[in-house]
Amino acid sequence: MTKKQRARTKLRRRVAGLLALGFALIGVGAGYSVLVPEPQTAQAQDDPAIVREGEKIYNNTCISCHGANLEGVKDRGPSLVGVGEASVYFQTSTGRMPAMGQTSQMPRKPRVLTPAEVDAVAAFIQANGGGVEMPSEHGAELRGEDPARGGELFRFNCASCHNFTGRGGALSSGKEAPALDGVTEDEIYAAMLSGPQNMPRFSERQLSPEEKKDIIAYVKSVTDGNNNPGGSPIGGLGPQSEGFIAFVVGIVALLGVTLWIGAKA
Amino acid sequence: MSTDKPADLPSEEELAQMSRDELVKLGNKLDGVELVEYPDPWPVKGTRAEKRAERQVAFWFALAGLSGLAFVAAFIWWPAQYVAPGKDGDFMYSLYTPVIGLTLGLSITAVGVGILNYTRKFIPHEVAVQQRHDGGSGELDKATILANLADAGNRSSIARRPMIKRSLAFGGGVLGLALTALPLGSLLRNPHAQSANAAGLLHTPWQHKEEGEKVFLRRVTGNDEISLVRPEDMDAGAMDTVFPYRETDTHEEWEHILRLGDTPVMLIRLRPQDAAKVVKHEGQEDFNYGDFYAYTKVCSHLGCPTSLYEQRTNRILCPCHQSQFDALQYAKPVFGPATRKLAQLPITVDPETGYFISTGDFIEPIGPAYWERKS
Repeated sequence: MTKKQRARTKLRRRVAGLLALGFALIGVGAGYSVLVPEPQTAQAQDDPAIVREGEKIYNNTCISCHGANLEGVKDRGPSLVGVGEASVYFQTSTGRMPAMGQTSQMPRKPRVLTPAEVDAVAAFIQANGGGVEMPSEHGAELRGEDPARGGELFRFNCASCHNFTGRGGALSSGKEAPALDGVTEDEIYAAMLSGPQNMPRFSERQLSPEEKKDIIAYVKSVTDGNNNPGGSPIGGLGPQSEGFIAFVVGIVALLGVTLWIGAKA
Repeated sequence: MSTDKPADLPSEEELAQMSRDELVKLGNKLDGVELVEYPDPWPVKGTRAEKRAERQVAFWFALAGLSGLAFVAAFIWWPAQYVAPGKDGDFMYSLYTPVIGLTLGLSITAVGVGILNYTRKFIPHEVAVQQRHDGGSGELDKATILANLADAGNRSSIARRPMIKRSLAFGGGVLGLALTALPLGSLLRNPHAQSANAAGLLHTPWQHKEEGEKVFLRRVTGNDEISLVRPEDMDAGAMDTVFPYRETDTHEEWEHILRLGDTPVMLIRLRPQDAAKVVKHEGQEDFNYGDFYAYTKVCSHLGCPTSLYEQRTNRILCPCHQSQFDALQYAKPVFGPATRKLAQLPITVDPETGYFISTGDFIEPIGPAYWERKS
């Protein structure tokens, strides 16, 4: 074998190898695209312009804790993939997000984002991973017809943390279930759907929209000062505070009466 | 009473002729009471001040009557039926309790004030002095009273009648025993005697009555709907309260189940990333169904409902004494006074219907400790 022939077979082997590798890669790529199913993420239904607007707001206000790709940042904020627009609505419209610092629990505070901005961020999050969506009804439409049944459901599902008239209560390690005064119907609905922070989630199959609306009707009937016909709720905590006040007021009144009876006419 | 007899006691004729004033004076004198001051509050009759005082008292009594009438009227006619806030008539309804409370309270108070006013304005405020002897009774009194008692005992002749004594001891003794032994004995009865099944506190209504029986996990919906739980009903990080339900159960039986203290179960669906960290208890490895875990709602400390579930920290809290249980570690106590884990209910999905069923009862007693409990 001459030197020239040896060089030619070497070249041929190389070309053949490259071709085989190319075919194999193309084959794997084609097989991948055919066999691997579409990822099950909800696709954006919204106007792409709103989604872009939401992305802009996200990049300005949320990105430092939730990451450039919604993947979350360790020890700062959780991933937002799949949390859905209901979660965004609740967290931002109650002012909990954007957060001002790391505490045991994000408190309610005056909202930073306007309703239009909230909608834009919600559309952006919904377009990237999907998740629970807000109902089509809003405000007073979300109040059910049967607050009594709502009360029963509330006592079974909500009262253990939020107190039976929505006064809230303590949880572990400095966390708390907030009082439900001043919370809108949409926020209550969004909270039940998305399970903000440590609250369990109540899907539409677990608590039907009807049941959720009845619960909202009940919450609205006992909060915002609707449950204190006596003038002051005295904490709304039941017999403890009421008994104490009754005792103090009663004893003082009895002392006054005793003095009056004993006084010389 | 002093022992020296008053010398000037009236005879029967004198007594009959005495006026009321004289009789009062005599009574006081016999009791050793002397009235130092006994002024008439209105020495001059018919003054304007007296009339005013009279009107004041009458005003309070009249107020009591009117307010009582108002109470009766409000009690009968005021709208007492619940009206949700925002609906018509909500304001009137919300005043129902205050109105009946105020009217009845005012009525009672006015009667009291009227009586007190009358006492203060029209009852004379006398100052009376009564002589009392110092120290104990005199030796003579003591000796005579002791003799009197001993004599009465002796004359009753009980000491000489052993039959009466013994029968009295028998009757009285039995009566005394009956009065004390019965209430005390009732504290010693078998605590399991009233239980629905022979093992009492060891078992709950989740126990299968026969082999292969299907006991479903049923939710409460606030109406008569039978809502059984399927795995797809619950999102990750959800909790539901469920009760045992058999297809043969009537409405009354279901109502009874709801009233029992040992039936409520928390059905928890862990988040997938948390479910990967689960540590299972020995002997309970197959009690869960995927990410679904069912624990009793009855605290192992004193039996409060431990239904505060934190879906991110996976802690189950008890509101009474702040015990905390870790849902990722077979609900073992991690904080607070509870020392035992929450009992776990074995669950699976019924292949025929797709609903959750329990595969058996809890394998340990739920709730707080009791005498026979070994662990």
